[in-house]
Amino acid sequence: MALVSADTKISELLTELHQLIKQTQEERSRSEHNLLNIQKTHERMQTENKTSPYYRTKLRGLYTTAKADAEAECSILRHALDKIAEIKSLLEERRIAAKMAGVYSDSDPPRKTMRRGVLMTLLQQSAMTLPLWIGKPGDSPPPLCGAMPANSDYVAKPGDKVAARVKAVDGDEQWILAEVVSYSHSTNKYEVDDIDEEGKERHTLSRRRIIPLPQWKANPETDPEALFSKDQLVLALYPQTTCFYRALIHTPPHRPQDDYFVLFEDTSYADGYSPPLNVAQRYVVACKENKKK
Amino acid sequence: MSELKDCPALKYYDFKPVEHGRVCPRYTAVLGRSDDDGIGIEELDTLQLELETLLSSASRRLRALEEQRQILTDWQDKKGDKRFLKLGKEADLSATPRHSKPKKPKVDGKGSHGPGPGPGRPKSKNLQPKISEYEFNEDPQDMPRNPKNDAPNRFWASVEPYCADITNEEIRVLEELLKPPEDEAEYYKVPALGKHYSQRWAQEDLLEEQRDGARANDKKKGIMGPLSELDAKDVDALLKKSESQHDPPEDGCPFGPLTQRLLQALVEENIISPMEDSPIPDVPVKDSANDGASTSPRSQGKAFSVPHTRSLEARIKEELVSQGLLDTEDRPGTGGDSEDEVLAELHKRQAELKALSAHNRTRKQDLLRLAREETRKQELRQRVRVSDNEVMEAFRRIMAARQKKRTPTKKEKDQAWKALKERDSILKLLDG
Repeated sequence: MALVSADTKISELLTELHQLIKQTQEERSRSEHNLLNIQKTHERMQTENKTSPYYRTKLRGLYTTAKADAEAECSILRHALDKIAEIKSLLEERRIAAKMAGVYSDSDPPRKTMRRGVLMTLLQQSAMTLPLWIGKPGDSPPPLCGAMPANSDYVAKPGDKVAARVKAVDGDEQWILAEVVSYSHSTNKYEVDDIDEEGKERHTLSRRRIIPLPQWKANPETDPEALFSKDQLVLALYPQTTCFYRALIHTPPHRPQDDYFVLFEDTSYADGYSPPLNVAQRYVVACKENKKK
Repeated sequence: MSELKDCPALKYYDFKPVEHGRVCPRYTAVLGRSDDDGIGIEELDTLQLELETLLSSASRRLRALEEQRQILTDWQDKKGDKRFLKLGKEADLSATPRHSKPKKPKVDGKGSHGPGPGPGRPKSKNLQPKISEYEFNEDPQDMPRNPKNDAPNRFWASVEPYCADITNEEIRVLEELLKPPEDEAEYYKVPALGKHYSQRWAQEDLLEEQRDGARANDKKKGIMGPLSELDAKDVDALLKKSESQHDPPEDGCPFGPLTQRLLQALVEENIISPMEDSPIPDVPVKDSANDGASTSPRSQGKAFSVPHTRSLEARIKEELVSQGLLDTEDRPGTGGDSEDEVLAELHKRQAELKALSAHNRTRKQDLLRLAREETRKQELRQRVRVSDNEVMEAFRRIMAARQKKRTPTKKEKDQAWKALKERDSILKLLDG
């Protein structure tokens, strides 16, 4: 029943989203005219190569209008993106609920193990659609945006993806990609599932062994400070695996949809590092360990 | 400054909006739909990305507009402000605002702007160093650093010597090592027996006493004159005299060791009595008393001052040697002092040394042989490499010919075959 109501909710939201998108376009076409005007004024000013008070006043007026337009456009776009996020969180809730149901009743249909390739694609997908954080002028990026660390009292929610440091069978410690199942405030411990369902392992780990993954992408165009910088030591998800390894940032992303290029510490290469490999913003977290192990 | 003529801060940004038709196809498609068609869940991801693109561009525009507009405002307000602004800008960039909130822009007093983008704010990008520095200072662990991972280098450096090619230099060193050292003979020499320490000490003692005596004599000059004349020669003579007196009973038996051994053997052979080992001490004592020396030499040693013991010993030895029972080499010392512990130890060590150096020599020879073999192989490998290159060269030439759509010339083919065959033959050599 809950699922049915969620379905109707989602379709309602989708309709609202559609409306919002249409409004966005209206807004955009409205401001387009003004922007064109600005461009023309620019050109004229540059050809005349001087700024007379007339132009200055005119430009200022144009700028002010354009700014208001841009604000309106931004606000409506944000609205639309919020809608998308809302829909997605509903979908996510449904997924978690389904998963929980699957866990509690083993009887009907047994959890299918995902094929590895499918899992990798899913991970890529979720990395790509990680929402981009776009602040209003003056806003500084929030925690968990790009490289911004979480607040010290932050508790990851069930379903959140985290990097978890687990002990493997052979005693080695490894950072794996995991999903939070629950958090106990009394013991300060997380219960997490290995994302790679082949393992089907559930780990109980202290919060020190958990690094929440970013919840927003940082926009390199507006908030480059929220990105890891070159040569910084990070933990990054090795491509086609579900494990995090130590790496150095080679190049930070330049555009919102870009990935980092990182050099993994890898002794099979002559200089101790792999060639640059791309890893999505979502799967790059700060490496807290010091060099000494 | 230049701002008198023009405003350099104006960037004349290109505020062209995003061409959504080109950049955001899904967005455009959704726009064209009627309300009934709506949006599918599966479209959300793409839509999100496109909306993000739009929002990103819009907010960039917003920031740029705000900045430019501010410049115009300030400029209009007061020309002098310009310089002020510039200073503020520079200060912002150069100052390191550690442990502090980002500096409030100096011109803030003039109002009309929020705490974020100050009026002096240049292009938004230029402000970034400041913010990032400020942010990262909170967590020093996040500071960029570049740990040089040179463990592999060190490892390979340590392995390198074991895998490197063998050089002529190394072979020469080996050959050098194989030459027997000049001082080898030195270690096998048995130095001549010196004076027994008891004699030497006796002599020294005597000399010392003599000196003491002489000193005493000096005091009582004349009284004991002749005694002071006693010198080293006399000491020797004195010692020799005493030596000859108590020389024979060195171990209480006048017979040489061979004589003793022989007799012992004979005696034991004679007494086949099962009582031999029985606890009746009288029997052996009686026997030994008759045969002399062997079992209880000390008590009766003096009684047997038999003459000719030396010659007897020598004869027995001669006899034994001729019978083949005794090795001449076995007893090198002229005096036949086979019981000498020091000598025995010396022989033992020399034997050890001999064995060890023989072993070392064979090892070195082995090594040299292997090294020579390896150098031969190295040469072959070198040749293989050269011919590998030749083969590759031929391959490339033929491929080039193929690309130009012409059949490789006979010469090229021949060359390729020749290179291949040569390589094969070298490889065979290497394997064989």
